[in-house]
Amino acid sequence: MPSNPRGVFSLIIINKAGGLIYQREFQSGLRNLSTNDYLVLAGTFHGVHAITRSITPKIPIAQPAPSTTSTGTAAPAASGYSYPNPGVPVSGLDYLETDKFRLTCFQTLTGTKFLLFTDPLTGGVDAIIQRIYELYADYVMKNPFYQIEMPVRCEAFDRHLGAWLRGRT
Amino acid sequence: MAAPHRHATMQSMSNGGISSGSDRPQQHSQLSQQSPGLRVPSNRKTIYDRHLNRTRTAELSRASFAFLFGEMVTYAQRRVTGIQDLEKRLNEQGYPLGLRLLDLLFYRSTSTSSSALSSSSTSSSPPNRPLRIITLLHLIHGPLWRLLFGRAADALEHSVSPDTPNEYMITDNDPMVNTYVSAPRDMSMLNCAAYVAGIIEGVCDGCGFETKVSAHNQPTELWPSRTVFLVRFGDPVMEREKVLERAGVK
Amino acid sequence: MVVYSFYIFDRHAECIYKRRWLPRPTSIVGKSRSNTVTDAPPTGLGQTVRSTDDDSKLVFGTVFSLRNMVRKLGGEEDNFVSFTTSQYKLHYYETPTNTKFVMLTDLKSPSMRIALQQIYINLFVEYVVKNPLSPTEHPGGVGVNNELFEESLEQFVQTRVLS
Repeated sequence: MPSNPRGVFSLIIINKAGGLIYQREFQSGLRNLSTNDYLVLAGTFHGVHAITRSITPKIPIAQPAPSTTSTGTAAPAASGYSYPNPGVPVSGLDYLETDKFRLTCFQTLTGTKFLLFTDPLTGGVDAIIQRIYELYADYVMKNPFYQIEMPVRCEAFDRHLGAWLRGRT
Repeated sequence: MAAPHRHATMQSMSNGGISSGSDRPQQHSQLSQQSPGLRVPSNRKTIYDRHLNRTRTAELSRASFAFLFGEMVTYAQRRVTGIQDLEKRLNEQGYPLGLRLLDLLFYRSTSTSSSALSSSSTSSSPPNRPLRIITLLHLIHGPLWRLLFGRAADALEHSVSPDTPNEYMITDNDPMVNTYVSAPRDMSMLNCAAYVAGIIEGVCDGCGFETKVSAHNQPTELWPSRTVFLVRFGDPVMEREKVLERAGVK
Repeated sequence: MVVYSFYIFDRHAECIYKRRWLPRPTSIVGKSRSNTVTDAPPTGLGQTVRSTDDDSKLVFGTVFSLRNMVRKLGGEEDNFVSFTTSQYKLHYYETPTNTKFVMLTDLKSPSMRIALQQIYINLFVEYVVKNPLSPTEHPGGVGVNNELFEESLEQFVQTRVLS
């Protein structure tokens, strides 16, 4: 039996400014990067995430005029378009799939991003990331020695995260 | 415009209201117009009208406590010289709580036993203030811990060394105050349960036992934040203990 | 499923073909293909052309960064397949010659990897690469926007959408 049945490769936490504040590998499966590479990756992802949000397709809302050119001439109107899923808030990249892994990005309402790298076949990723957020809220944010937006060095967080991912709790 | 407001504030303060100063006089004046002094809910019952025993089983938010305690630790950390200084400050924050808590603890233990008395007259006499060390330690290990944390402490031991007969150890496998605390590596000796040690010290002092209590990390694999509270009674206490033992006081 | 847009980038990071399908506005009934907007020949409406031009640069920047990130983490033989946001799905296919095919669809879409590969093999190679009138490089989209390619792409997407 593998030591980590959930198939979670690693976790990265990016603060709201795009800085890497946590990186931990749980299971080998991805190539190891240097700390500097991880910092660059975090910054790059932060930017790409914002762009993926801005390239969301905009669907023109039907204008009263029947001519097709009205979509072009009526461009200044801010309400001239809607998004594909109007009821859902526009987000950046949520899931990324490759041949070897699956990246799930969860952005909290405060702008912190949790990046979870899993095996492509691992299920229930959303539940895993929710639990990680919960552990973060508990053992990082409630730790009196943690300085906000700074790298996470909380032994209790590491311990509970590791224990939970091993399937103990 | 300002003068009547200030006057109203003074009035509310003189009426015994809890006021944090006059930096927002307007708000105070509004309060005092509705109800001079305390804020009274619509049913005219303040928290002081409530029975002391009613909140005994009430649950409190663990998160609120964690954030409040976190701020206390942060506050205590300002301009400290070292870990010992920080622990001393946390201890000092806990001490007055222990002193005050003792009254509530006694009040509740007597009120429960009096109700027991009414049901069965054969019940033992209502509890007194503990006179002997063991009674006091049992009070801390059991009722005090239950009052604070909802469960008894995990172990109570007497020092085995003949040199230190005045030392007792109370063990908590997972102190609630430390649940979310991760001390930085350069402060690995720090145990924020020094606050609880302060509470214990306050309780002991309130009972007339001069004591020094300190919290120490004793992690095991199963209990990474296991904490031992070392209770050291002063020499006068030990002398009195001998006298009481000879007199057969329990 | 709905296809929103389609881009081809050559190995010089230039967008050599882009096309957008705007879904029919919900209140207009009965108009089918006339509201398909093709951006390859400039329509003369400065606003829309500029915004799609910017879009294609942003799309390229995104897929380029993500592809590099994927290679860094998964190794050289790993491939970036797709990503999803709350609003759309982006599919990516890269040929051995570094030509990149990108398609934006709605969330209900299945994996379009095979489809993009088919567009490459059956349409791009057949009608663009094998076209004797088309240059080897396509600066500004020269040679890609020929009638055969566009028409068959249109058909290909239509059948996909309907299926």
